[in-house]
Amino acid sequence: MTSSNPFTRRQLLGGLAALSAAGLLGAAGCSSSDSGGTPSAGSTAWSLPSTDPTATIKVLSILDLKTANMQPVIDAFHKAHPTITVDYQSVPFDSLNSTLDARIANKGGDPDIYWADQPRISALAARGEAEDLTAVFSDTKDKFDPTAYDAGVYQDKLWALPIANSTQLLYYNKTLLKKAGIDLPSPSPDQRMTWEQLTTDAKKAKDAGAKYGFLFGQFDRYYQLEPLPVQLGGSVGASGDGNLTPDFTSDAWVKAFTWYRSLFEDGVAPRGVKSEQTDPAFLAGQAGYMVEGPWLLPQLQASKVDWGVAAQPVFDGGKPATPTGSWSLAMNPFSKQKDAAAVFLNWMSVVDGGGYIKYRSDPELAASLEGKKIYFQKDVFSSAEGKNAADIINYETSKTAVNRVSTIGYIEFETIMNQAFADIRNGADPKTTLDKASSDLTTAWQKYK
Amino acid sequence: MLTTIAIVLGVAFVLPAVWILLGSFRPNLEILTTMSPLSWHTIIPSELTLENYRRLLVDSGFTRALFNSFFVCLVSVVMGLLMSSLAAYAVAVFTFPARNVVFAVIVISFMIPFEAIAIPLAQQFTDWGLGNTYVGLILPGIGNGLAIFNLRQHFLSIPASYREAAMLDGASEPRILFSLYLRLSGPALTNSALLIFLGQWTAYLWPLLIVSDNDLQLAPVALAGTFGEHAADYGQNFAGAVVLSLVPAFSVFVLQRFFGRLSIGSGEK
Amino acid sequence: MSTATSAGRSSATRRRSTIRRRELFWAAIFLLPALTSLVVLRIVPTIGAVVDSLYKAFPGGIIPATFAGLHNYRSLFDDPNFVDTIARTLIFNLIINPLQICLALLVAVLFVQRIPLVGIWRTMLFIPVTIPIVGSCIAWGAALDPQGPVNALITALGGEPQPFFTSPNQALACIIVLASWIGIGYWMLFLIAGLQSIPGELYDAAKVDQAGPVRTFFSVTLPLLRRPLLFVLVADTVANFVLFVPVQLLTQGGPQGSTTLLMFEAWRTTYGYGSRNLGAAQVVILTAIMLVFVLLQFRLLREDKDNR
Repeated sequence: MTSSNPFTRRQLLGGLAALSAAGLLGAAGCSSSDSGGTPSAGSTAWSLPSTDPTATIKVLSILDLKTANMQPVIDAFHKAHPTITVDYQSVPFDSLNSTLDARIANKGGDPDIYWADQPRISALAARGEAEDLTAVFSDTKDKFDPTAYDAGVYQDKLWALPIANSTQLLYYNKTLLKKAGIDLPSPSPDQRMTWEQLTTDAKKAKDAGAKYGFLFGQFDRYYQLEPLPVQLGGSVGASGDGNLTPDFTSDAWVKAFTWYRSLFEDGVAPRGVKSEQTDPAFLAGQAGYMVEGPWLLPQLQASKVDWGVAAQPVFDGGKPATPTGSWSLAMNPFSKQKDAAAVFLNWMSVVDGGGYIKYRSDPELAASLEGKKIYFQKDVFSSAEGKNAADIINYETSKTAVNRVSTIGYIEFETIMNQAFADIRNGADPKTTLDKASSDLTTAWQKYK
Repeated sequence: MLTTIAIVLGVAFVLPAVWILLGSFRPNLEILTTMSPLSWHTIIPSELTLENYRRLLVDSGFTRALFNSFFVCLVSVVMGLLMSSLAAYAVAVFTFPARNVVFAVIVISFMIPFEAIAIPLAQQFTDWGLGNTYVGLILPGIGNGLAIFNLRQHFLSIPASYREAAMLDGASEPRILFSLYLRLSGPALTNSALLIFLGQWTAYLWPLLIVSDNDLQLAPVALAGTFGEHAADYGQNFAGAVVLSLVPAFSVFVLQRFFGRLSIGSGEK
Repeated sequence: MSTATSAGRSSATRRRSTIRRRELFWAAIFLLPALTSLVVLRIVPTIGAVVDSLYKAFPGGIIPATFAGLHNYRSLFDDPNFVDTIARTLIFNLIINPLQICLALLVAVLFVQRIPLVGIWRTMLFIPVTIPIVGSCIAWGAALDPQGPVNALITALGGEPQPFFTSPNQALACIIVLASWIGIGYWMLFLIAGLQSIPGELYDAAKVDQAGPVRTFFSVTLPLLRRPLLFVLVADTVANFVLFVPVQLLTQGGPQGSTTLLMFEAWRTTYGYGSRNLGAAQVVILTAIMLVFVLLQFRLLREDKDNR
């Protein structure tokens, strides 16, 4: 039996139109983009209360409660502030942005406090996703390393408080260097190597049998590579009004990235090795040199590598500059428990150098000056090389740290830059790649102008 | 000669799958070190272990994700079959004006690939508070155009006299559908159930968009989450892929006869 | 007699209209779930996307959007990168779909011949379909790593190691290989069923005419396979047009933008950059293109079913 009642196109369209009308009503009724005027975020005035309120606050992080050892930190907070309960949740780093966008836009107040990536704070503030902390917290300025505090400042207002900081050191494998007959670098920051010298030495180490001559902790990432052009006098990547004009096609940038590409062309550093694979490679004794953060130290201690540290190199004739920055905490402007949230924020970041630093078992470089003292007392710094490391870390965070560019268009910036770096690493011409990235970014940033 | 080609093709296609299967039983370090240069050991393991599975199922949250996937799939099948049978019955058995238009509109709309509207749908669901809920995960999986199409074709082939007889006996329409038509529709129902189940089991984009809560996440997204997080843990990734493949493999092999009938022009009765 | 007939006719009419009303009632009830889900799951988001695409907003979604008419569409088509993405997606589909279907056809023809243990070889080709695409991507990502086993095989055979996913010239081709590894087995099954429904007498007749295998294929097999073949081609296009997982997991649209397909671009704009309205415009464009293919698919599906 065939059901061949042909239907005319008109009937089909008619059916579709009828249902569309139904749908339109439905969609209009639940329209999302413009429910209720401007975000009346500042409607609830809040402060750091002298007595704790009784409340439950939701905290969104990128550190897993169990596997990233955050449980002791939360427990310590509960002990110090028994009437405030923390409902702690974590998501992977890659989903943090979209999760925050979705949850905060719901205006339900979830989460109350969240982890904010420092270079993205301007973008968060501009989007209306962070609460203005200036009135309550701006007097904490002197308690932090200047770059760490400044990372939370946008348009002269404070939007987030730092809980951690970072820097980079040059680690080297003594065994591999001795095998290649290379002089061990000096640990003094005043006598840091040049990148040019490092390239030559790393090549020697590779020729003498090392699997990798040199590794960056995070290949192809703006965090890692940003200081390179800065050392040569280039900008951090953007300039102009609100830092919304791309500025990475200067000679300094081209020179820095021509050097970057040469590392891979000459086999000094490997292509294809992902950022997640670099730490294990150095810890397995496969690399002569590596530039990486202080988080490598405890693992190095536990490994079999005979290691040493020196300060991150600088270009010949350039000015030392090091990567810096880490995570801060920000408050949801729609939070319904801002007082309690403020207590948590204060405890995590400021009190006794920061509860986050004090109670987390993995040693984390503090953004606060007092926290740094606690940090340097960890036993990972007790060995001779550990003491060298401590001196270098202190020096770099105070004197040579250069923050990543502060712009409301940071997300587009970082995405496009990282892609450009990966392309250069795979052999693309630096000048054309940077020029194209610049025009791509100009297009992407048009929506902010 | 043809046989040789068949064998070569079969082996070529199955080789990567074999690599995954064997790799799931090897220590991760061994997989990494035998990737290159080429040797027998690239495929043949020298050491077997259940460590990957243990870490996958016991340590990581993957078991939870598997449970979520099963739950979502089963509920989707039940509700999806219900909805599809009702709709298929209506357009196959009843006569009313514009019946074919309705049928066409329904099937066409559900044939628009889900990915095309996933993003706006996710926005709507989040606005309606369905983000991070089982309801949010299940709902989109219920509408399957091919399932409705399949059932409708099958219902059309059931002689109208059966229904007339049942009506004379005083049966109501729902009764006719459930006690009569569905009982005669074993293969078609199985086909459709399979379509819905597999669709939800392999769903990746939708759970990615709608769920950020690890406890609610589905298995494919959980598996992808471990990829690239730490230093290339291929052993665990492969174990996850094997576990995820078991369900479709099982259902396909057992129901192989029916699966081929999904196609068109197969001369089915 | 006429009174009896007219009385009979009117009661029959009344009975018919009662039946019709009853059917209409039940039809409405039975169709309600399907029509509701249709509206909720397809119509509402499509309209939502169209509406959203007519607004402009600061990324993030908190600051309310302002009406901007066709501004988003104009800026998309002014952006050479977006135009490239559309072109790239279309070209990708022009290559991969005929390729996959041709190969699936060849394989299907092979596996309907009398070959020992044909069921086993056929199953082996189908195994990739059972592996979830996430797993396949991870495995192929590992296999095509520049330091991975495929390059090891190539060097063992005397060739040069290839860059694969790290090269803008090869990355998309690698994705085509990955997708085809899965697709060929899947569509092969459909085509085998189509082949098996060709009446054997036609082949016997061809043999009597002393037609060779190639001639038989082109004059007997292909014409009768036309509809299933077209259906499979269009269905494959629909699936490949929204290809997403390999790009998101393995290449993130690179290197140098060579694997940025439309679906990934829409996802990145909405979720990576937080530009909901611009992303909505991209989705609308994607859906419009999709609709053409889906209508075609439905047409072919119906015609074939009706011509039994």
